[in-house]
Amino acid sequence: MWQPILFCLFAAGFFGFSGYRFLRLYRLAKTQTGKAPARFNRIPERLIQTFINVIGQKAVLQKPGIGILHTLIFWGFLIITIGTMEQFVSTLIPGFNFEFLGQPTYVSLLFIQDLFTSFVLLAVLGALYRRIVLKPKHLGQSSDAFWVLAFTGSLMVSIFLMNASHLLATAPWYELAMPMSRRVAGVMGLLNLGTDAYETMAIIFKWIHMTLVMGFAAYIPTSKHLHIVAAGPNTFLMNLDRAKPMSTINFEDESITQYGAAKNTDLSWKDALDYFSCTECGRCQELCPAWNTEKPLSPKKLILDLKHQLFDKKSGEPIIGKEVTEDVIWACTSCRACEVACPVFIEHTDKIFDIRRNLVMMESKFPAEVQSVFKNMETNGTPWAFAAAERANWAQGLEIKTLAENPQYDVLLWVGCAGSYDERNKKVMKAFVNILNKSSVKFAILGTEETCTGDSARRIGNEYLFQTLAKINVENLNRYNVKRIVTACPHCFNTIKNEYKDFGGNYEVFHHSEFISKLLSEGKLNPTKSQPATVTYHDSCYLGRWNNVYDQPRDSIAKLPGIKMAEMKHNRDQSMCCGAGGGRMWMEETIGRRVNVVRTEEGLETGAQVIASACPFCMTMITDGVKTKEKTDSVKVLDIAELVSDSLTN
Amino acid sequence: MNIYVCIKQVPDTETKIKLSPDSTGIDTTGIKWIVSPYDEFAIEEALRLKEKNAGSLVTVIAAGPARVVEALRTALAMGADNAIHVEIAETADNFFTAKSLAAALKKEAKVDIVYFGKEAIDDGAGQTAQLTAALMDLPCVTVALNVEYSADKIKAKREVEGGAFEMIEATLPVVIAAQKGMNEPRYASLPNIMKAKKKEVKAYKESDLGVSSADQKIKLKNFQLPPPKQPGKKVEGDAATAAKALVQLLHTEAKVI
Repeated sequence: MWQPILFCLFAAGFFGFSGYRFLRLYRLAKTQTGKAPARFNRIPERLIQTFINVIGQKAVLQKPGIGILHTLIFWGFLIITIGTMEQFVSTLIPGFNFEFLGQPTYVSLLFIQDLFTSFVLLAVLGALYRRIVLKPKHLGQSSDAFWVLAFTGSLMVSIFLMNASHLLATAPWYELAMPMSRRVAGVMGLLNLGTDAYETMAIIFKWIHMTLVMGFAAYIPTSKHLHIVAAGPNTFLMNLDRAKPMSTINFEDESITQYGAAKNTDLSWKDALDYFSCTECGRCQELCPAWNTEKPLSPKKLILDLKHQLFDKKSGEPIIGKEVTEDVIWACTSCRACEVACPVFIEHTDKIFDIRRNLVMMESKFPAEVQSVFKNMETNGTPWAFAAAERANWAQGLEIKTLAENPQYDVLLWVGCAGSYDERNKKVMKAFVNILNKSSVKFAILGTEETCTGDSARRIGNEYLFQTLAKINVENLNRYNVKRIVTACPHCFNTIKNEYKDFGGNYEVFHHSEFISKLLSEGKLNPTKSQPATVTYHDSCYLGRWNNVYDQPRDSIAKLPGIKMAEMKHNRDQSMCCGAGGGRMWMEETIGRRVNVVRTEEGLETGAQVIASACPFCMTMITDGVKTKEKTDSVKVLDIAELVSDSLTN
Repeated sequence: MNIYVCIKQVPDTETKIKLSPDSTGIDTTGIKWIVSPYDEFAIEEALRLKEKNAGSLVTVIAAGPARVVEALRTALAMGADNAIHVEIAETADNFFTAKSLAAALKKEAKVDIVYFGKEAIDDGAGQTAQLTAALMDLPCVTVALNVEYSADKIKAKREVEGGAFEMIEATLPVVIAAQKGMNEPRYASLPNIMKAKKKEVKAYKESDLGVSSADQKIKLKNFQLPPPKQPGKKVEGDAATAAKALVQLLHTEAKVI
């Protein structure tokens, strides 16, 4: 009779304490009152994604090795929990078990549980080996991790000892369904302690197991193991599309007095759920171009610092402080490698953008060199110091019509500031114009009516400036009733395609890599001139990770005669940023190694004679990298438009 | 303290200047207008002084056509408290402008410091500060780099010809014309931009100030664009021959020696 009473006391104590701690987390999350993204739509898709990524462990298995270990532990947890439930109920109602489900079912259940108990134990040993011996750099040191593994391992050991004692004491009919426990029983049986002693031991180990389970439940809320509760919901609330427009602030709404996040409480409950989901696996940090070049930003540490700020009830204090410094926030290139790598769908860039918005718009704090960029964008609609009136000068002599001249056209060529003003990128624009002409595409430009899309302003945090520019562009595009747009700049591409919707701009937008790939596959281009060279293609973040355009540029290059392709160590989803995204193009890089040089080194390692890019910012950064490495004689940096244009003969 | 800043709206630095059809001025169509950069140093200095002296007010004044109100809004967004628009013709010369500004300033109850930029980047005359000071009978420190303030006087470091500096003391009220290097002008915060949109701008007409086009001393007759810049020339050869060739070129082509 003592068992049900003691169980009730234990359960009330442990689960009560655990529940109280979870309630506190809920209340803490609710103190974050910023606007959360709308994520309660498209429920069937969300359920499917949750199933694939939680039960199916898809995102976790992006890293196969540790992914498999995690999957074993996770599946083991699900299966063994059935046994734990049985154990709890049987403690309250002696003699209860799942045998009523039918003997075959029960036997299968026991067998699977027995098997997974050993799998989990092996996986825990594997994980310990990884943490103690292999020590991957991105993983870091964590006593919490050892506690979690110790808990998990002890749970499995206690199950085996309990089962083995039980088998020795009662030799039940389902004994054969538990081959692993039988092995343990074989060893324990050597002690020859007698049935009564084994029965007592079974009870002792059961209680050890139950106490560990309950203790674990109480331990979880402040541990990284909290992910077992938070990661599921966070997966359900993930950003379903690859494209992710930044949130639009309504400046007309006079009730908004705080723009961006100054304090933890200015972030949203979804941000809090992100922190709760973090397992500290470090996959974000492993691919972060800032972290990998000795900047103070680690996406993992940022999430943990924000979590600690929330836990330490420092909600009223500014986010920027000793841990989250301004340098941390400005180091981000918004390449999104962290988000794509995250197995629990944490969205790091949202937080960085929100913190930047406060710094820029509320406090006017940003790297000093950015001020002239803002001013250039304000007065001349370009980050570079050039007159708006000179925007179309690059096209002199090319006989390109502007929309004001009311031409017949199929597609608007969005030139962008780089194509208009930057000497190197003007050449790219001319190469693309050559491609369009050779394939008889009717196109036109806005000329001096085009202005900067505002991408850099928005990513730096100057939403107000961005919206000023966005409204001018949308107004012009809609006035001319523009339907289709092609641009050679992934930043313009992403902004017009995904972010102008909020301002009434809905267009069919192509990046020139998509457009060229289409022209090639439709046979409208005839690349015949052989360019014998090995080419490695550098992924632009705003093309790749932000818009999932990986294949088209590669396909186009591969179709050119004479060219061999080589991939860099980091490519596609794992590609490394050139260092210019997120407005970093306009900031000095004073800490650590230079991102563009490190990326260029990866390009040079392939032995390619050409590093191909599809973005004007990447072009600038990689070209600088090649200069720094003193390889300008042997390695060329070319846009895919130039590669294609050069292979056209007539 | 009652702090005033006189600012000028000028064409953006990237503007390609075109002449008006009769060549008496420039064609202003399509020009992007900005606050003259030296005036931004003046505004920043005024704001910093205000922040150090609780209860101070910064008032910005601009003379010119209706469009200069935009420049006043820019200054308000940076943090100025009040703005005064002195409505005079686009073509007003330095004296006319200074007389209008002085008249507007004289209408104020108390003036402690009046800031200017050392010159406007369009005509580059660098006269308005001094003329205004003279018309108000105030001391004037031009090309000021660094100013120390005390209750009734200032001590200013100013740039003089030849890269030298001099220190000048003056009693308040005083006119100070700012040189680049005095500070780094701030970028307006959004709440201030929003507030600036709603602030009232006081306006004076010529008749309010007792000025008229009769005060104009300069008549502009014939503007000309500078000759286009010639491409650079590389002087080849060893040091001795190159030096000889260079001297020859400086003498015959550039006509500087």
